[in-house]
Amino acid sequence: MAQTFKKSFDLKLRVFVPLVVLLGACVALFAIYLGLPSNKDVGYQPVQPVEYSHKLHAGNLGMDCRYCHNTVEKAAHAAIPTTETCMNCHHRVKTNSAKLTLVRESFAKDESIPWVKVHVLPDYVYFNHQAHVTRGVSCVSCHGRVDQMIKVSQVAPLSMGWCLDCHRNPAPNIRPVEFVTKLDWQPDRPAEEIGRELIAQKGIKPPTDCAGCHR
Amino acid sequence: MIVPIQSIKKPQPAQQYWRSASQIANTAKFQDWMHREFPEGASELPEGSTRRNLLKFMGATLALAGLTACRRPEEKIVPLVKGAEHLVPGKPVYYNSVFTMAGSSAGVMVETHDGRPTKIEGNPNHPHSLGAASTYAQASILGLYDPDRIAQHKKDGNAIQWDDFAKEVPFLFAGDGAKLRFLSQRIASPSYARLKGETLKKFPAAKWAEYEPLSGDTAKEGARIAFGRPVAANYNFEAADVVVALDFDFLGMDASTLLNARQWASRRRVRDHHDHMNRVYVAESQFSVTGGAADHRLRMKAGDILAFTQAIASKLGLEAGAPASVPGGEKASKVLDVLVKDLQAHRGKSLVAAGPRQPAAVHALALLINQTLGNIGASVQLLNATESTTEVEQLKQLVADLNGGSVETLVVFGGNPVFDAPADFDFATAYGKAKTRIYHGEDDNETAAVSTIILQAAHYLEAWGDGVNYDGAAAIQQPMISPLFDGKSQIEVLATIIGAEKKRGYEIIQETWDSALSGDKAKAWRKVIHDGVIAGVSSATVSATVNQGAVLEAAKAQAAVKSSDGIELVFVPSSHCYDGRFNNNAWLQEAPDPITKLTWDNAALLSLATAKKLGLADDVYQLETEAPSFSSQFISIKLGSGEVKIPALIQPGHADDSITLTLGFGRQKTGQVGEGTGFNVYPLRNSAGMSIAAGATVAKTAGTYELASTQDHGSLTDVLRTRTEIVREVTLDDFHKDHHAIQHIAHEHPEFQLYETPAYDSPYQWGMTVDLNTCFGCNACLVACQSENNIATVGKSQVLMGREMHWVRMDRYYTGSVEDAQMVAQPMACQHCETAPCENVCPVAATVHGPDGLNEMAYNRCVGTRYCSNNCPYKVRRFNFFDYHNKRYDWFTLGNKAPEIASLQYNPDVTVRMRGIMEKCTYCVQRIAHVRIQAKTENRPIRDGEIQTACQQTCPAQAIEFGNVADPESRVSKAKKLDTNYAVLQELNVRPRTTYLGRLRNPHPELV
Repeated sequence: MAQTFKKSFDLKLRVFVPLVVLLGACVALFAIYLGLPSNKDVGYQPVQPVEYSHKLHAGNLGMDCRYCHNTVEKAAHAAIPTTETCMNCHHRVKTNSAKLTLVRESFAKDESIPWVKVHVLPDYVYFNHQAHVTRGVSCVSCHGRVDQMIKVSQVAPLSMGWCLDCHRNPAPNIRPVEFVTKLDWQPDRPAEEIGRELIAQKGIKPPTDCAGCHR
Repeated sequence: MIVPIQSIKKPQPAQQYWRSASQIANTAKFQDWMHREFPEGASELPEGSTRRNLLKFMGATLALAGLTACRRPEEKIVPLVKGAEHLVPGKPVYYNSVFTMAGSSAGVMVETHDGRPTKIEGNPNHPHSLGAASTYAQASILGLYDPDRIAQHKKDGNAIQWDDFAKEVPFLFAGDGAKLRFLSQRIASPSYARLKGETLKKFPAAKWAEYEPLSGDTAKEGARIAFGRPVAANYNFEAADVVVALDFDFLGMDASTLLNARQWASRRRVRDHHDHMNRVYVAESQFSVTGGAADHRLRMKAGDILAFTQAIASKLGLEAGAPASVPGGEKASKVLDVLVKDLQAHRGKSLVAAGPRQPAAVHALALLINQTLGNIGASVQLLNATESTTEVEQLKQLVADLNGGSVETLVVFGGNPVFDAPADFDFATAYGKAKTRIYHGEDDNETAAVSTIILQAAHYLEAWGDGVNYDGAAAIQQPMISPLFDGKSQIEVLATIIGAEKKRGYEIIQETWDSALSGDKAKAWRKVIHDGVIAGVSSATVSATVNQGAVLEAAKAQAAVKSSDGIELVFVPSSHCYDGRFNNNAWLQEAPDPITKLTWDNAALLSLATAKKLGLADDVYQLETEAPSFSSQFISIKLGSGEVKIPALIQPGHADDSITLTLGFGRQKTGQVGEGTGFNVYPLRNSAGMSIAAGATVAKTAGTYELASTQDHGSLTDVLRTRTEIVREVTLDDFHKDHHAIQHIAHEHPEFQLYETPAYDSPYQWGMTVDLNTCFGCNACLVACQSENNIATVGKSQVLMGREMHWVRMDRYYTGSVEDAQMVAQPMACQHCETAPCENVCPVAATVHGPDGLNEMAYNRCVGTRYCSNNCPYKVRRFNFFDYHNKRYDWFTLGNKAPEIASLQYNPDVTVRMRGIMEKCTYCVQRIAHVRIQAKTENRPIRDGEIQTACQQTCPAQAIEFGNVADPESRVSKAKKLDTNYAVLQELNVRPRTTYLGRLRNPHPELV
């Protein structure tokens, strides 16, 4: 019976199969790398239905975060403001601005504005704003300098490893509660030192067990 | 370290406990259940799925996975336009309301998340619920999100708008109402009753019938015989040292049980060895939870209870015409002597109570006995009542009118008379004779199917209303959500029919209660809505004397008509469907019956002797052969013109020559949940024998049927050692003599520990105790857990494979013989072992311990090896074999998604688990976390009792304590220090955080 394969095929097989496998592994690894929260999620900047600038409101005008995100100290969610909150000012200020058309319409027609969620956690993660903000973790620790963002984008990976880094060593991110929404807070001595004192004083012990966040 | 099994001390069993006949017989199937985590083949794909199919699914999954990775899904946040006060996104808001069912009401507290009702608790302010909620009340929330409920007003099959109907009202309801009839369920709402009165005023010739298949008419009638006028007798179980229940399941389904259970439990709680308990005697035909909780249970035919009551009366010196021999045999006559002595020794502190299935004469006799014993005014309170004809009479009159052709328009408010009216009335035919048949209800049932106009009813969580109890305790029902469809409540429909000025539910109830408020009415009204109860409204108590002659006469007359020969049929409400109204409720269908442990079905329950007599089985094992499911033999029951084919099931402890039939199953027209479940026994139920029927012909018939019973699931019995110490029980006397008696049943000194105790470094160490002395196995905790923790229902086919998901397994143990068994209930959930065997075998560390002693389960980490479940000695872990939440009713058919509306019920604080994930009790970790964060925010420690697990909160008997075991002053720590405290499978030394307080029975010393 004639040979099915030529003799040289043996060499080809020995070279190409490992090559294909290696290439496949490289592609897979690269895909995994791309899919890491630090690559996939950081920088996520969706288009919002209203061209709202945090830089203008929180930065230039100096509004406190909690004017709009008013439930941040008493609930898991830092509520997205109602249209009514926008209209508190905008029924007098910039009443004819084209950018605010949707806001005015929403208020008049009683239809909600569909904001796009920027910081998305998986459904099995029960992050609680109240627990963090009332213990002195600033907004800036997770959300970055929102007061300098015209369009909000995600700055931290919000991955489990990233959360745990802080839960294991919270000192650099703990500050006096009164400065929690002061995103440009500059302490006169190392922040970590202040953090350590506050941790000792308040008995802060962030959970590192599963049920701390997963229920 | 390998430990030879012989070195573990073998306890000497004092009493044998068993769950099923297969266990006694130790059949191969039972062994399979015991040794394997799931029965053989349970992990295999179901039949009909080929390799080809599997590959197809796999291919589809891969393709979908690839597609979804392309683009990040955009999630939206949709805030309110205008803020609502007190509404914080993500924080639950609780409202008080009231749940009315079958003429009685219980206050509820409803948890709502962002405007969605998600869970029903008891209203602590309400005098009848006191913070507890029954299984029915808790599961009623599924009715709101029932995808099969009537979602459209209809006329002659075509959808109409509410206004279309409103426009037609003047034409439909004209004149004096001579040809107009109304039929409603028993009314427990004062506003409803008021509008009923106004309706009858506007249409003076119209008639209104109230009918419920399960009525309390005989109790009313009995009181009328006894006192010569309508009086309601109200029992107080707290005031009785000795309770005699005559076919009365007062803890189970024969009454509004929450208050009864609380009162009974308050007399069963034993804290130290000086404490005393009440003594409960029960005589009944079927096995009820009350019988299980009793100190002495007598099994006798329901038809013999009268004779037994007569015998009690005679022994007390009343000329009651006692029969020559006491029914129930030698045991009964022995118990009878002691019982009478006990009653005489506790004059004024005893209670003889008859159940709703018993004829009026038994009720009258019971009242006479109570009077003789001086109990009236103490444990029996007499309340004012109004004269009314019995419900069956009312329905009979209506049917006669219908058949006589004198009815043109019949309005049916709720209920399902076409299904559940007495068979001899032939209601369906009579109903068809009315020209306009208006049905107002939520359930798309048999009656709706033959009605010309269907008005969709608002669920009680969607509408304003009110509820009152027999003693006058009143409560307001407030809506939690605007009607999901366009439902209208009964009072709104009535207001439209009579053209009332005030047509909105809110205005109607305000008008009803305006006169009950005083002072600043607006403020008082707000308080009423907030508290959910109207304070200071109650029925007047009356004093009356029993007419001894009339009672004894009635008893003798009743005894003369009674024929006790042959097999009797006894109709009882179902723990699943009640009278059929909860037929489409998945939680109730799947909650194993407290006694039979059946799910999704009913069966004809009979005793071993009766089964032998009928030629069904030579011994009990034959009928109950094939665990996990057992094929049951069909029997055919004929009575009058009705014939029913139903599987027979031997019930240990059942009375001989008696067959218990559970109502509410076998509906012809129901939703996707209830379809095809069980067997309809209403065809056997005639107006003459609504509760107990004699003269039936019963015969074995061809065919067998597979019943899904969970009684052997999760068996802890070991073949090597008979672990009789799982449920521990001693008599109160023994406990008084030796207050370590419970602990001495199996006093283990484990010498070794398999795993090292981890460092539990939190100041809070959670633990639980379950008091088996007050737990009677009602399932309230099981449903509460299901509701709180988004636990899936799996359906009958999955239960047959042992895949039910309940985190609380309500174990029911029998002790004694199959003929005359006693029962103990033991709720079993994750014990949160300190050295948990499950943790060490998980290859991905998905189940680990927390610093506060919780055995945690990280769902997102679980890969589904099921090693943990395999290694759990308590068998309390549950595995999601399929995506039960998404493909709920037909889980293997791709594309058959569960209706979206059902997901509105989910608790957003708990992950909804998908396929391939292990789950188990978490001690309600979401509740712990919520309180922990709140306490941290307020810089204070967590208070004792601040965290209540779902099971604990709803327990009618307050049998569960939960709290910090590191705090010696906490309630749970104190409970754990009691002499009755023990751990299940203590010899394993896994140090469970859940421990049990042993069961104490209080038999009369002369009968021990």
